[in-house]
Parts: sequence; structure tokens; C-alpha cells
Amino acid sequence: MAQASAPMAAATPARDLGRDLAGLALILAAGLAGYWLFPDNLSFLTRLISVALLVLSLDLIVGYCGIASLGQAALYGAGAYAAGIACLNGVTEPFLLILIGAAAGAVTGLLMGTVMLRAHGLPQLVLSIAIVQLLHEAANKAAWLTGGSDGLAGMVPAPLFGLFEFDLWGRAAYLFGLGLLVAVFVALKLLVRSPFGMVCRGLKEDPLRVSALGISAFPVLLRMFVISGAVAGMGGALGAISTQVVGLDSVSFELSANALVMLVLGGLGNLYGALIGTVVFMAVEHVVAAIDPFHWMTLVGALLIAIVLFAPRGLSGTLDEAARILARRPRRAGP
Amino acid sequence: MMNRRIFGRLMQAGALVLAGGLGLAGAAAADTVKVGIIGPFSGPFALQGKNFQAGVEAWLAQNGKSVAGHDVEIVYRDLPAANPQQARALAQELIVRDKVQYLGGVYFTPDAMAITPLLKQGNVPLVIFNAATSAIMTSSPLVVRTSFTTAQTTTPLGKAVVDRGVRKFVTAVTDYGPGVDAEIAFKKAVEAAGGQVVETIRMPLNTTEFSPIMQRIRDAGAQGVFAFLPSGPPTLGFVKSFNDTGLKQGGVKLFATGDLTQESDLPALGEAASGMITGFHYAVSHDSDANRRFVAAAEKAIGGPGQLSFPAVGAYDGMYVIAKMIAATGGKQDAEKAVEAVKGLAWESPRGPVRIDPETRHITQTIYLREVAKDDKGHWINKEIQSFPEQADPGLAK
Repeated sequence: MAQASAPMAAATPARDLGRDLAGLALILAAGLAGYWLFPDNLSFLTRLISVALLVLSLDLIVGYCGIASLGQAALYGAGAYAAGIACLNGVTEPFLLILIGAAAGAVTGLLMGTVMLRAHGLPQLVLSIAIVQLLHEAANKAAWLTGGSDGLAGMVPAPLFGLFEFDLWGRAAYLFGLGLLVAVFVALKLLVRSPFGMVCRGLKEDPLRVSALGISAFPVLLRMFVISGAVAGMGGALGAISTQVVGLDSVSFELSANALVMLVLGGLGNLYGALIGTVVFMAVEHVVAAIDPFHWMTLVGALLIAIVLFAPRGLSGTLDEAARILARRPRRAGP
Repeated sequence: MMNRRIFGRLMQAGALVLAGGLGLAGAAAADTVKVGIIGPFSGPFALQGKNFQAGVEAWLAQNGKSVAGHDVEIVYRDLPAANPQQARALAQELIVRDKVQYLGGVYFTPDAMAITPLLKQGNVPLVIFNAATSAIMTSSPLVVRTSFTTAQTTTPLGKAVVDRGVRKFVTAVTDYGPGVDAEIAFKKAVEAAGGQVVETIRMPLNTTEFSPIMQRIRDAGAQGVFAFLPSGPPTLGFVKSFNDTGLKQGGVKLFATGDLTQESDLPALGEAASGMITGFHYAVSHDSDANRRFVAAAEKAIGGPGQLSFPAVGAYDGMYVIAKMIAATGGKQDAEKAVEAVKGLAWESPRGPVRIDPETRHITQTIYLREVAKDDKGHWINKEIQSFPEQADPGLAK
């Protein structure tokens, strides 16, 4: 909240641009490093990108608008199923499938936002859970369309640019996912810096004051919900394309809750926080589960408790704090 | 802000270096055949995963850790709930990084469906220890299955109960894939045998209050009820409600597949389930020397009696099949040759005589009619009362 707006106010546009470019270069470098350093883990890394898009989309409404949601997977699942169903019906071009996922997520976001924005606080949270549960049950019931609990299987996306197949090694899927993530990240960075993004933040921090300026909250928040839906839908579509199966877990409460955990871990209201949270949570989970497949959940649970106790503002918030303290010290020591 | 970003990247790099290091440590030594086992080893289904592990460990304890001179190394990977994305990632890493020659396990159908597209390119066969939907077998020619399908266990049950003089049935199944499969298979079998299903009830997942359903069963005037629910607490609630509403005392018979009365649930079900008749491929109490040896080894592996149930026997037989594959290929990686070698393979399993059907690569086996009863030591068991040998999967039969 405060930590998100304080550096914003202090920074000049030129410095912002420099930082954004540096941040973007880092994401791209880290992504490509992942490709070269871990050529055997690309399926996992692709899954990580898919979930990162979900967590970014959740950050848009939780972190920037202050809307409580434990149902974000409804949007992710809508994108995944839409892309999967389209793929089974002959639309196999990956870029088109991503667009279909985005559209399905946006439409679901519009509906979900319309319902959820009628409430505030806890009732809003309950509504989000109800919506994701309803969609989960709908996907289970409509087995003729979604495959129900057996999953929607058998989709074969066309090769990327007609050249690179989505195969066992997962190189095409990963680079495709990385490209998508970078493009979405740039777009979202511009979005949250825009006047529209500022209004959203304002609504989160002081809705009364914003409405006194003559801005109506509902359409603004609904627009953000649609954008969030499109981002989550793209994540779902990426998951569907790279896995070639869509399961009921992609519209589950568990996935929604996990996304919120990753977001809180990384830090709210900060796009980098969403990425850091996803990477740290999923990488730790993946590595620990491989070391001890029988008791790893205990270790991950302990880690989460430790972070919430010692870094209540998330990893990015705590790092921010540390950076500020470090930056202040030499200034005081100087003349 | 810069520091934060750098730190984030460092965290990622650190975590991934760790992951890479593990991969290196796990790189194959000379002539070790690696087998990757994917199952639910934590979370709500951990007991089923433990049964996978117990079956595998029991096989290794009895047959040693090498096959035809090739050391066998097992790599376990945890997949706590149905999650195809994670299943694909785990299978891909097992194949590409850990260089496993065989994949085994898999509890849920969507996970199996996510793994099968990788098999051909990876040159790896998949031996399924559980996932029980017929369609998996048609998704790749490199899949072999040592478990059962719902249609396979339900079809003989439907015939047997009509033969026992029950004519009018109501089916009550949980409204999800396996439940609907069971309902369809049971209805078909009952009608083929001259019985009648007067009402089909589909109960929403997570139903906890069953008395309205019992009322519908009573109103339908059925002589018998066929039920299918996920094992565990829902089954317990269903069976208790069946008794409390007086249906059992009223002479209505309760039938189900063996998933509902798996041995690990029997102590809790106990008296309430007494007399319940089920159709299934394996009872821990099965009377044979092969089974007694298996149970002794598997109970030791799982760490105590009372936790052992059907997934363990699927894993045990799966290991038998994998061992035959390793022997047939001389420890070389050749998925097609390996699968070819076990087509038609027949052996004596702890569950009875079994065979891999050469056409479908699914296991052909005896299905037993069992009754929940007490053994002479006072433990609740699934007592086998009738057997139907040589049952293939009707879902795959042409």
C-alpha cells in the first residue's frame, strides 16, 4: 500500500523508464539463463510462467485495486478450457489460442467483476470463492464439453511459426511462454503507470477522496477486472498449449488460494513482487518435493510461516525496506 | 528497487542451481536402470501413494534390487492431486534430466493423459498402477496397465446381483467421471442379466447429508442400491445414513465397487458396512500363498497393517511387468520392444491369475464378489464369496 506509492511519488519519469528497462532486461536475461542453464527443466519452467501470469493478474485486482479474491483461477480456467476446446475443434495456431484464452478470460472477468464489485471486504471474498466453485462444478458437469474429471485431452497445437513443435523437450513452449510473459509485463507496467492505473490505486487507498474528484469507482474497477481476466486467461491458454491437457484443477479453489499465497509471499501491489513470489514459491516447492516426496509439504509450510512472521510485507517489500535503509546510511555519513 | 530485482533474480538462480545440482547428483551410473514413479505421496491421497511405494518396495524386497544383472533404481515424484500440468512437468524431467527408462505409478486419469503424449519421443513405456479410465490405453501404444477399470469391476457385479434374486435397483453415484462410468456399466450389466434400474441418482461432489437420497431410494421401491462414491469420509456418511434411515433393516441390499470398502477404510466403516456386497479385483485377505507373501512384505514396507489396500497390488504387479521389460531389452532403452515383450504376459499375482491383454495392454484378471464380514480374528475384511475369472475391460472390448 504505502510502500507501493511512496517510491512512485519520489521517482521522476526518466528514472522510472531507466528502472523499467533494467528490470525488463533482467527478466529477459533470467529467462534466457533459465533456458541455457536448465535445458532439462523447461516443462517446469513453462508451468512456472503460466502460473506467473495468473499471479500477475491477481496482483492487478488485489494489489492495485484492493479487491479481495480467492477465485482468480476461474479466469485462468476459463482461458485454459477455451483454448483447449478451440484446439480440439481445429484452431491450432498457438498465437490465436492465446488470444482465444485472453478473450475467454476477459469475458469471465467482466461477469465475475460485475458480481463481485457489488460487495466489499469479506462478502466479496466469499463471492469470489462461490464463483470459482460454481465454475468448477460447471466444468465437472459439462463432461461432454470439458472432459469432466478425466480432463480435456488430445489437443495438438500447431508448431510455433509453423516450425517449432511443442515436444518432449519443451523448448518451443518455454520460449513462447517467456515471450508472452515479457510482452504482458511491459503492457502491465505501462498500464499501472497510466492515469487509469493511478485511479485504481487511489480507489484502493482512499475511495472517498477519489469519488470526491468525480470518478465513479465501479466502471474503473470493472475495467481492471476485464484486463486481469485477459491476463489470467492467457496464462491458462499457455498452460493448455504446453500441457495438451486441461484438468479441473485449473478452475479450482486450491489454485486460486495458491496464487494468493505466492502473491503475498512476493509482495502486493508490485508487479515484480508477483514474479518473485511465483518463482520462489514454485522453485522451492519443486526442489524440496524432489528431495523428499513424502514430507515436503511440512517444510514448505514452515517456510511460509517464517516469511509471514519475519517479512510481513512479502519478499519484495522487505527487500525494498532493506534497500532504503542501505541507501539512507551513506547519505547521513556524508557532509 | 534495483536491489529488489537483483535479489529476485538471485533467488531464482539459486533455487534453479540447486535443482540442477540435484539433477547432476542423480545422473545415471553405469548400467543402472532407472524407474520413475509418480504418485500422490503427500496431501489427502497420501495413503494411496504410500500403497504405491509399499507395492514397489515389497517387490524389491522379494526379488532383489537388480534384474538380469541390471541394477534398478527407483525415483519417486510427488503429485498430490490431479494436476496435468504438473504431471507433464514431472514426467518430462524424469525422462529428460533423470534419464529414467520406465515410468510407473499415476493415480489420476488426467495426469496419465498429460504424460502419454511424451512417451514416444522419450522412448519410455508407462506402466499405470492405478488411473482407471478406459480411454488412457488408446492414447498411446506405450502404455500398459496393471490396475482395473470401473467398468471391469462393475460388470460382473451387475450380473451376480441379479443372479442372487435382486431385480429392482436404484443407482446412487457421485456426479463425476468414475461415478458416471460406474452407473453406466452397472445399468448395462443389470439390464443384460434381466434386472431393472428404476432410478439413477447422481449426488453432487462433497455431499455430506444423505438422508434425502435415502428417501428417494425408499420412494423408488428398489430391492437393491448400487453406490459409487470416492473412498473415505463420504462413503462412511453414505453407509451410516443407509443404516440410520432404516433401509438396511427394511431389507434393501447395498452393492458397490471395492473402492468403497478398501481395507484401510474398513475399521472405520466396520459394523455399519457389515453384509455390504462389492465387486473388485483384489482383497488383502485373498487366500493364496502368493498373496500371503506379498502382504507380509508390503505391510513391512508401509509400516503397519491396516493401511494396505488395492493400489499396492497394482504397484507390485507393475514392478513385475517393468522387470520383465528390463530383462527383455537387456537393460537397453527400447520402449517398443519392452511393451511388445509383455503383451500376453501371464503370471500369478497376489490377486490371482492375471494376464496382459495383447490387444489393449490392460490387465485381464479375476473379479471377485465379496462381502464385508469379520475374519476369525475379529478383523473386518472383504470376504470373497464368488469369483469371475478372465475378465477383460468391457470399456475397451470391441
